[in-house]
Amino acid sequence: MGDDIAFWWGYLTNGKHLSWYASVHYTLIAALLGGTCALFFGLGGAGLRRSRFAPFRLIGAGYINMVRGIPDVLFFLFFPLAFEQLVELIISQSACPPDVVATNAGTWPPCTAANWFLSSTEYLILAGVSLGIVYGAFTANVIAGAMNAVPMGQLEAGRAFGLTERQVFWRIHVRQMWVYALPGLSNCWLLLIKSTSLLSLLQIVDIVRWADRLGAPNFSRAAGLVHGDWRWGYYLALLLFFILLTFLSEKAFAALTRWAGKGMTLGSAAG
Amino acid sequence: MDLLAPILRDIELLARPALFNLYFALASIPAGFVLAIFLAMGKASANPLISRLSQGYIYAFRGSPFFIQLFMFYSVMLAFNQTVWKPWGIDWFVLHPLFLGPAILALNTTAYTAEIFYGALNTVPKGEIDAARAYGMSKGQTFRSVTWPHLIRIAWPAYTNEVVFLFHATALVYFTLPVIGDQKDLMNAAGALFERDYNAFLHFSVAAGYFLAISLAIFFVFGLIYRRLMRHMPQPPRVRFAPRWLG
Repeated sequence: MGDDIAFWWGYLTNGKHLSWYASVHYTLIAALLGGTCALFFGLGGAGLRRSRFAPFRLIGAGYINMVRGIPDVLFFLFFPLAFEQLVELIISQSACPPDVVATNAGTWPPCTAANWFLSSTEYLILAGVSLGIVYGAFTANVIAGAMNAVPMGQLEAGRAFGLTERQVFWRIHVRQMWVYALPGLSNCWLLLIKSTSLLSLLQIVDIVRWADRLGAPNFSRAAGLVHGDWRWGYYLALLLFFILLTFLSEKAFAALTRWAGKGMTLGSAAG
Repeated sequence: MDLLAPILRDIELLARPALFNLYFALASIPAGFVLAIFLAMGKASANPLISRLSQGYIYAFRGSPFFIQLFMFYSVMLAFNQTVWKPWGIDWFVLHPLFLGPAILALNTTAYTAEIFYGALNTVPKGEIDAARAYGMSKGQTFRSVTWPHLIRIAWPAYTNEVVFLFHATALVYFTLPVIGDQKDLMNAAGALFERDYNAFLHFSVAAGYFLAISLAIFFVFGLIYRRLMRHMPQPPRVRFAPRWLG
């Protein structure tokens, strides 16, 4: 029994496993970066959606409805690739001699000098931004709805007190909007942290890739078969990790909702 | 014409892969729908054990990424390969992505759909059920003629969204399960085309166009069903697309 515990403790704290635990930072950074970007894109999208200028309104509506038709994974893969190609195109304008470009027609990049190698860090930033764009559309929908939910009387009261339009907008409309937006924002955040499991598709060695490597049948010439296919156990651990992350997020959002609803008599929205 | 020709060629090349995404969705939706009814009833059950188990199932599947669920169930199935599937002679079937993909999708959508149905179940007015009981209806009759019609009308808009998101989730299946021969779905096929000529904008846009078109078709069909479900209610005025020049 004691030997068993010592074996498992040693196994689960060997170098590879420590690297696995450390790779959680990719997931957390992508989630936080994506969440921040999504909030800004969401505010921008909601602003466009509610703009008085019709073309802006149309752009906002198009952005919000984009995610209803296109899977997140497609955009998640497409955006970093497209961004990389765009940068390479700009570099190739100055770095590539025309005769090399002519011989390399139909291949990419046009010349080796224009090749841009992305490291994990750069992919991580691009992944965060593309998560932000996708979930920003959900967020924009939520925020636009919450802006409409603020009671008219509150705004009229502000105007009656002699506040300027700008003051009414920032101090009453936006301030009260958060309470109505929080349940929806919580949903967006839960979707976003689940999407961070896709990081391994962008060649980032995150917790999912590590689980695959560690669980695969391990055979060494010296020791023979160390262990068989243990991947299911590692994926089960990941599943529990994400459920735990969801659980903690729900608790945090519940506390945030209580805090934001302080002093407002809302009943269901604050609950 | 020069601009249009590659797009048309891509639309042609991606038509067959789109059928795989459609198959995954169509094969998993009916199973998920039926199972979700039972799971929602289970969550609302007065028996604490059934209720807790249903709640746990729904929470686990809604709280974890579908991508990880795919990996986990595939690796669990692989772990049973030597001891169970091979001796029984059904390994070619249960490990085939065309079976396993819809099966895992169905498990996933069951949880999401059950949560929607459970929410709708709570909106059924108590008085209607009391009235049904006063008429001497059995439990099955009450469910069939009172609870279910109310439930499905309330749940339908949210269920429409769930079906569209399930269809989007089919894009993830072949990132995990093995691709056999040329049984590629939209993402595989678009990725393969991209690796040939590195034209990300063309191939991924056409794939996105397929997803968009099928999503819109789902919204349209489910909207028609919703109109049919709500045909006894006062109809909202139809949207006028023609400009009103006079009056």
